[in-house]
Amino acid sequence: MKNKLEIEHVEKSFFGKKALDNVSFQVNGGEIFGILGPNGAGKTTLIRIINRIIEADKGGVKLNGNLLSDKDLKKIGYLPEERGLYKSMTVYDHLIFLGRLRGLSKLEAKQKTNKWLQHFSIESWKTKRIEELSKGMAQKVQFIGTVLHEPELLILDEPLSGFDPINVALIMEELKRFKEEGKIIILSTHNMRSVEDICDKAILIHQAKKIAEGSISELRTVNYNDVYEIIFKGNMIAFANSLWAGFELLDKTILEDNNKFRVTVKLLGNNNFHDLLKVLMESIEIESAKKYLPSMQDVFIELTQEKTEKNA
Amino acid sequence: MHNSWLIALRELKERIRSRSFLLMAFLGPFIILLLTYLLFSFGGNKVKHWNVLIVDHGGLFENKIMPGKDKAVSYSFYNGILELEEFTNREEFQKFDAFVEINEKIFKNKVGFVFYRNTPDPKMQTRVKFQIERRLEELLIEKNGKIPLKEYLKIKQPLVLTFADVYDPNNLAGNTRAWVGFFFGTLIFLFIALFGMTILRSVSSEKSNRIVEVLLATVSPKSLMLGKIIGIGIAAFIQFFIWSILIGFGLYLMRELVFIDLFAPENLNATLLSEGTSYTEQYFTNKTYNEFVDLIFNRIHYGTVLFFFILFFIFGYLFYGALFAAIGAVSGSENDGQQFVLPIIFLLLISLYSGYHFIHYPESTWAKMSHYIPFTSPIVVMVKLSMGYSEGETYSIYFSLILLILSAFVMLSIAARLYKNGILQFGHRIRMKLLLKWLKKT
Repeated sequence: MKNKLEIEHVEKSFFGKKALDNVSFQVNGGEIFGILGPNGAGKTTLIRIINRIIEADKGGVKLNGNLLSDKDLKKIGYLPEERGLYKSMTVYDHLIFLGRLRGLSKLEAKQKTNKWLQHFSIESWKTKRIEELSKGMAQKVQFIGTVLHEPELLILDEPLSGFDPINVALIMEELKRFKEEGKIIILSTHNMRSVEDICDKAILIHQAKKIAEGSISELRTVNYNDVYEIIFKGNMIAFANSLWAGFELLDKTILEDNNKFRVTVKLLGNNNFHDLLKVLMESIEIESAKKYLPSMQDVFIELTQEKTEKNA
Repeated sequence: MHNSWLIALRELKERIRSRSFLLMAFLGPFIILLLTYLLFSFGGNKVKHWNVLIVDHGGLFENKIMPGKDKAVSYSFYNGILELEEFTNREEFQKFDAFVEINEKIFKNKVGFVFYRNTPDPKMQTRVKFQIERRLEELLIEKNGKIPLKEYLKIKQPLVLTFADVYDPNNLAGNTRAWVGFFFGTLIFLFIALFGMTILRSVSSEKSNRIVEVLLATVSPKSLMLGKIIGIGIAAFIQFFIWSILIGFGLYLMRELVFIDLFAPENLNATLLSEGTSYTEQYFTNKTYNEFVDLIFNRIHYGTVLFFFILFFIFGYLFYGALFAAIGAVSGSENDGQQFVLPIIFLLLISLYSGYHFIHYPESTWAKMSHYIPFTSPIVVMVKLSMGYSEGETYSIYFSLILLILSAFVMLSIAARLYKNGILQFGHRIRMKLLLKWLKKT
């Protein structure tokens, strides 16, 4: 059976202040799912509820169709944003301790620790104490501690922070491998580039509420369905004059000495892409024209600002 | 429970591998042995010779105390009734430094008094105690017929021989046995303070380095707190065990090398030796017995004291340990937590004072109350236990223990709630209002 995590109408308040308001979504095995949102939106609360660190006031969390219980905690691997390790312990002892807490026997914990240390080529760290490690090295140890017991559900809060580009690529590779193995992977991050790169779906939480959900391509186009990006050679004034009331110029960038431009244009009314090309072709030389795909960064900013303005 | 145990084991390993643990394991016993040595060598007024009157109204001692003579003590007997005023005022008694009151009930209630004019040093006190006790034991054995050593040890109960100033008889501070109890009680509180602070530091540092979030994703807050308290508690017990061995060994060395041969062979009870009574023979022919050995090895009924010491140690530690853990969990920062340690240290000091107060005024209202209050009972009970419970009072030690056990569990459940609600809160300042909120929150 395919793994599945369902979050159903979860609500949580702290001393009368709503931290989560009726949040629901579903994550399937083999998917990397992003939980996005500005600081204080409720992401950490949601993650703590999934981990059963705190309880929801209303709603529930189901894993593979059953309400999540304490027994299921051993199926979860959790990497919190604020990393913490016992500084005086050795890497080896620490990993075995974490493995055993997550239900591995001593022998299994040792075998798996050795396997991971080999896999990351860091066997020489075995006897090092955590306090002797650099931040990035400690992050790696923490990552191993999270996945050591081969959990079905991985919850990773800012998993790439503190890593150099080589290690970012390494961790990304691992996440892709877990995805292929059918694990459920939840990623909470502010790094929108990594969301574009590895997430399949995402949810955006703002002011305790879910404000958007979908595949990454859906999210990137949700507010830009009728926006196109055109690169052309010619005169900008001629370009602007050729647009009539059926189109709106959103943005322009000069690419070469007042002769080459990149513009984004929104279609208004019943106009389509074909109509746009028709009006432009007579006055400028089009080099490329395609549907505009904003970065997740833009989507994030736009959606959260839009919501804040509405609430104001 | 499995996870609590894993947490406990980790804590235990961390503690016993730390340098401070090793340092304390050796420094603590060394200091105690040094103090013991100094107390026995230089404590009290040096008295070279004591003239003691044994007031034996019933003639129980048969005007005998030991076969030979002791250069340091001379005994005389008086078979009438002697009031304190008579002893202090009448001319004929002025030559005596002290009198020992032997009442008819002494075999039953095991209580006797020694009234002195000037406080003698501990050496002299234990010397007199030793000689009187041995005579009483001798009489007890005679009274019960020849009984084997094993049987005798079964019925042997510690004798409460209290030293009091003849001019201030109600001040019982001279009771050295009570001070031994105070020492045991202080030991409990020393360990509670030291290891309680370790709990606090451990919780605060887990909180500040945020590993607590990883742990809480697998372990319930209650299990985490319990594991921590248990692990550090076992470390405390190991520390105590090391102390016991080192102090025991140190005392043995002192007995063999420093305080030897106070009782010369000529003082042995020849009659009993010739009769071959197994216990007394072994007892009086052992050349190493002396007043130091007597206090440390014979006068304290270690079986009973250690039994209750361990129980009061465990539950006293759980009671205070829960308090330390809760403070660590609710504090917003490590510094914030340190401020709240002061009230607990204050409570511990009040407890120590209560033990001290009990030695001086065992009949006062506060002394009676502090025997039952869980904050103070571990030390007060140890003092009382060493002084001795009379027959009708033994229920009170169990009552006090039950109260402490119940209070420890109540404290653990309150602490668990504060721990659960406070452990993931950061950067705040502890306020009473906030604590009440967390206490109410399920």
